[in-house]
This record gives sequence, structure tokens and C-alpha cells, in this order.
Amino acid sequence: MELFVQQLINGLTIGAFYALVALGYTMVYGVLKLINFAHGDLFMWGAYLGWVALTFAIASLFENSVFVVVPAFIFVMFTVGLLGIVIERVAYRPLRNAGRLAPVISALGVAFILESIARNVFGASYKVYPPELLPSGGVGIVGDVRINYVQLALLLASVLLMAAIYAFVQFTRAGTAMRAVSLDHDTSRLMGINVDRIISIVFLIGPALGGIAGMMVGMYYGSFDFTLGWVFGLKAFIAAIMGGIGNIPGAMLGGFLLGIIETLGAGYVSPQWKDVIAYVILIVILIVRPTGLLGERVAEKL
Amino acid sequence: MFSGKRQTSTSFHIMSMVVLVVMLASLFGTAAFAEEPSGEPIKIGLQAPLTGDYAYEGKGFEQSIQLLVDQTNAAGGLLGRPVELVIDDDKGDPKEASLVADRLTTAGVVAVIGGYNSTATEPASEIYDEAGLLHITPSSTATRLTTKGFQRFFRTCFLDDRQALFAVDFMKDVLGVKKIGILHDNSTYAKGLADWTKTYLEEAGIEPAFFDAINPDDQDFTPTLTKIKGAGLEAIYFTGYHAQGGLLLKQSADVGLDVQWLMGNASNNPELITIAGLDKAKGTIVTTEPLPSDLPYPEAKAFIEAFSTAYGNPPASVWWVMAADAYNVIKNAIETTGSTDSETLATYLHNEFKDYPGITGSIIGFDEKGDRLGTIHKAYVIDDQGNFVVYGESTS
Repeated sequence: MELFVQQLINGLTIGAFYALVALGYTMVYGVLKLINFAHGDLFMWGAYLGWVALTFAIASLFENSVFVVVPAFIFVMFTVGLLGIVIERVAYRPLRNAGRLAPVISALGVAFILESIARNVFGASYKVYPPELLPSGGVGIVGDVRINYVQLALLLASVLLMAAIYAFVQFTRAGTAMRAVSLDHDTSRLMGINVDRIISIVFLIGPALGGIAGMMVGMYYGSFDFTLGWVFGLKAFIAAIMGGIGNIPGAMLGGFLLGIIETLGAGYVSPQWKDVIAYVILIVILIVRPTGLLGERVAEKL
Repeated sequence: MFSGKRQTSTSFHIMSMVVLVVMLASLFGTAAFAEEPSGEPIKIGLQAPLTGDYAYEGKGFEQSIQLLVDQTNAAGGLLGRPVELVIDDDKGDPKEASLVADRLTTAGVVAVIGGYNSTATEPASEIYDEAGLLHITPSSTATRLTTKGFQRFFRTCFLDDRQALFAVDFMKDVLGVKKIGILHDNSTYAKGLADWTKTYLEEAGIEPAFFDAINPDDQDFTPTLTKIKGAGLEAIYFTGYHAQGGLLLKQSADVGLDVQWLMGNASNNPELITIAGLDKAKGTIVTTEPLPSDLPYPEAKAFIEAFSTAYGNPPASVWWVMAADAYNVIKNAIETTGSTDSETLATYLHNEFKDYPGITGSIIGFDEKGDRLGTIHKAYVIDDQGNFVVYGESTS
């Protein structure tokens, strides 16, 4: 039983990361009906920028205080968010009326560009987050089950962020406008919504979340290189689909679910089979509910 | 081009004729150069992972061999001809390695050194054999590679079954542990080493209490580590590569796993400690060929000094010096036979090459499968300062 709870905690932590990245995919899909394949690489850039921020901040401003992480977080959020806006402006907006295929190809191109730039700027070897920064040790919960401080902090931060996004989308005007835009662009315009501005906001928030997740992953695992975005992004994308693409609570649910299934599969069966297990379950879910767990049947435009 | 209008203007035709003539002229120009023997460089290919998980090792290969190439050229070249190093990045991936092998075979090299990991060396070795090229790997230790009857394939490293035997003897005799686990990553090298370790353990009457693999694409090994914690092991031998080894050590402490970690000879470099963090890495034991700084031979000292002067730091990994020795073997073969024909060189290496004073010790010779004769493994432990220090020693 204790083993189960421990694996559950491990699964929730990694699930939180998947969820944050999945949110980015789902939000962009919601307003643009586009799978932003570059999102995984924005996540990777978050990890790099966080590393840059922490390495410099420690050197110049603060001493080994844990609180140096907060300005670093904010820096990463804004920078990656800005990057997201720029990418949308340059690579996606001009193709908005060019059919469904062109933006996808453009997204793939952006993904490769981001990876190559990261590799050339930062080098091909692993980068390591300064370990002095993170408190080690943890707290015991029940018997042998432990959750360490870093896990706890990151889980809390992730949940807070997700709650904030959910509140934003449900209860603010901009959030409502976002939901309107994801239903229909033209009608939204008739209602007085500046569709382009809303889309830019989405590209600020989505990539910002992805970037933060990247920095968290860098802090949690300690080391990463420029290939971080590929596999992680793919899995988060799958999590978003599992929860219902375009659906925000769905992305969170999908992320956590994928993290837990993967971890339990690795812990109880074998790490060699965990991917098989996770994706067989995914396929079964999609067969039973093709729109994803929380997805709704959205009327197709004719 | 598809616009429907045809470009039949005469200026276009003249341009294309000029371009064609210039291209043909340059072709004949270089053909004229090819007639001059003294100027034509001897090309040696290097297949190494310059990017990816093993970039640390691949870059070291490049540095080591380029240093020796420069030394050779400064001393008058090989058979009076300049040596040129043709480098290609296989990213440590078997698919890329096949592409690299194709490119190197058509690049006119007389021999190839590489790859680093067995998974990348294996498909490439098949292509080099078909092309009849001499191929030496400095670091791919999977036993399987020399079982295919390739007559021109050699290694300057020692085999994994010997390393496994050393590891088993070390664990049961020196450490005196009985509950032992084995963890690999399904790659050719790691699985081979793990299987041999299991075989020798069972021969010694010990059943491994844990045998499983991680997925090297993953970052999160906490599920596996939690499982290992539940198995109550005294020692666990990870036979995979240093990037994952570092993560395992780091996460092992986070999970509260208290066990003696041992790692194989793909984790014998300082980057392991960087990734894991010093206080998580110390106390880990690594089974490996001797580290460069522990090589007592004058050739080793000379090479280390030259390397430090050229690059500002001594060679950190034994594989870099193995790569240097691979080059030395090729150089010796070319100089002794006076030929750059792969067949001639391979025959020489099989039959007449012996007792060459290499940087990694006397290269006694190669057996009929292409494996280097003899073997020396040591156990190193990571101390509090992050240095690898010798724990035990064995010659077998």
C-alpha cells in the first residue's frame, strides 16, 4: 500500500508537468484549431532560460537564497510568453487563411528552428541546474512514504498556476472572450472581440506555462539538453488529446492521468513496458470516447 | 519553371554552357592533382557522437585524434603525405550512424575510427565491412560486435564479458554482498554487460535479486528506484551510460534509497558527477579500464601532457585515449606495410602486429576476431572531492 502511495506521489509530480505543458497545447488548439508542435520546444527553452536566469542571479544578485527562484520564474514566464507571441505573429498569423496544413508545417519548422538555435547557442552537452539552490530532504507522510521539498513546492506551484488559469478563463472578460473565439472567430468579431488580440494573449499564456514547466522540470531533474522538448512535448500533447483537446480542465486531467499511469506502469510492471501500457490505455480511452475524456462534440463549421 | 513560358533565350543557354564548362574544368583540374602522389592527403574517418547524450565522449575523440593528426603532419606526414581527418557526427544513434557510414565510405577514407557506443557502431560496421574498409572502434565493448566474421574490424578496448566477470568477483569478494541487482537500458552495450553479469553471478551461485531496464529517453526514474527500494538490495550494478547514471544517483537519494551503487565503464567520466551532484555521487563505484591519469606508461604521460597543452585540460576519459590508440594502430599499420589498402592493413594487424607500445599500455595484439588481447579492469570509487580513486585492482 505504501509503495502504491509513493508511486502515486511520483506520478502526480510528473503529471503536473505534463498538465502544464498540455494546457499550452489545448489553449492554442482551442482558439486556432492548430496543434502548435513548437510548444514542446518552447518548454525546452523555458528550461534553458531558467538555467541562465538562475546561474546569473546567483552569481550577481542574491546569495544562495531559495527566493532567487521567484524572479527567475517571472523572467522565464515573460520571456517565453513573449517568444510565443512573436512566433504567432511571424509564423502562424500570415497563414491563418491558408488552410489547415500550412500552419502545421510552419509549426514543425518553428520546432526545428528552436531546437537548432538552442543547440548552437548553448552547446550539445547537458546543462545542470545549480544544486545548491534547491533544498534537499523531504517530509515523511505515512510510514515509508516520502515527498521531498522540491516535489512539494513544484506540485503546489503547478496547482496554483492551473487554478489561476482556470479562474482566468472562467471568470474574466478576457477569458470569456477566449472561449468565444474558440467557438467561432467571425461571430466573436461581430460581438466586438478583437480576435487577433485574444489570440496573442493565448500565445502569451500558453507558452508562458510551458516555459515555467520547463524550468520546473530542469529544477526537478537537475539536468537537461536540447532534446528535452521532443519526447516531453509529444507526451503532453497526447495527454491533452486524452483529456479532450481544446478543453482546459481536460488538459489538466489528461496530464495528471498520464503521469500516474506511466508511473504505476513503470513501478508495478516494468519501466520497459510503461510506454506500451500508457498508450494502450490512451487508445482504449479514445475508442470509447473519441473526443477525449472531457471533450465535447463541437459542431463542425461547414 | 512550371509557369508555362519556356525560357529559350540564348543568354540563358550561354550561361548554362559556361557553368557546365567551369564545372568540368574544375573536375579535370582536381584529377590532374590526383596524379601527384606526394600532395594527396591520406584521409582517416572519425565517426563519433558530437551531439546527443554522448557528446562529452565524442568531442573528446575528436580532440584526441586531431591532436595526433597534427603531430603526424608536423613530423612530415604519413608515408610523406599529409593526414586529413574526416569527421562525421553519428549522434550516438544507429540510424544516423548508418548515414555517417555511407558518407564516410564515399569520402575516400582509408580507415574509420568509431563509433563510441555499440548501438551506433554495430550498423556502421556492417556498412564498412561491405565497403572493405578498415574499421577500429575505441570504445564499443559489446561482445556481439566481433561475432560476425568481419575481417577488417578491430577494437582497442576490452570486452564486456571480462568486465562483467571483474564486477561479479569484486561484488562478491571485495564488497561481500549477496543481494545484488542489475539495471540496464536495453542498448546493445548495456544489455550485453548486464546479461554477462547475470551469467557470472549465477555461475557463482548468486541469483540476482533484481534485473530490469530503464528507458534512456526518460528523465524520471523514481518509479524504478522506488521499486528497487522495495527489493531491499545491498548493491546494484547499473550498466548504462553516464547521463542516465547521473540522474539515477541523484534521484536515488531523493527517493531515500540506501544501496551501494556500482556502474559500468560508460559512467567513468566527470560529467556523471556534475549531473548527479557531488554529495549524491560520492561513494559510487565504477568498474572500468584504468583512467588516463592512472596509466603508468611513458607514452601515456607524453600524450596527457600534449593534450593538456593543446586544450588546457588533461583527457578526462579513458575512451579518449583509446581513440588515440586506435589512430596510433592505423598509423603503425600504414607505416609498416607502406600501403593504404584496407585488406593489407587488416592482414598485417591480424598476423604481424604485436607488442605495440600504446598509450593504454602494450597492445599485445589482436585475435582472429579482431578483439584486443589481454585485459585490465579496475574498480574506482568517487571520493569526497569528486575524484575517481582506485578501489581494487584485477588483471584477468
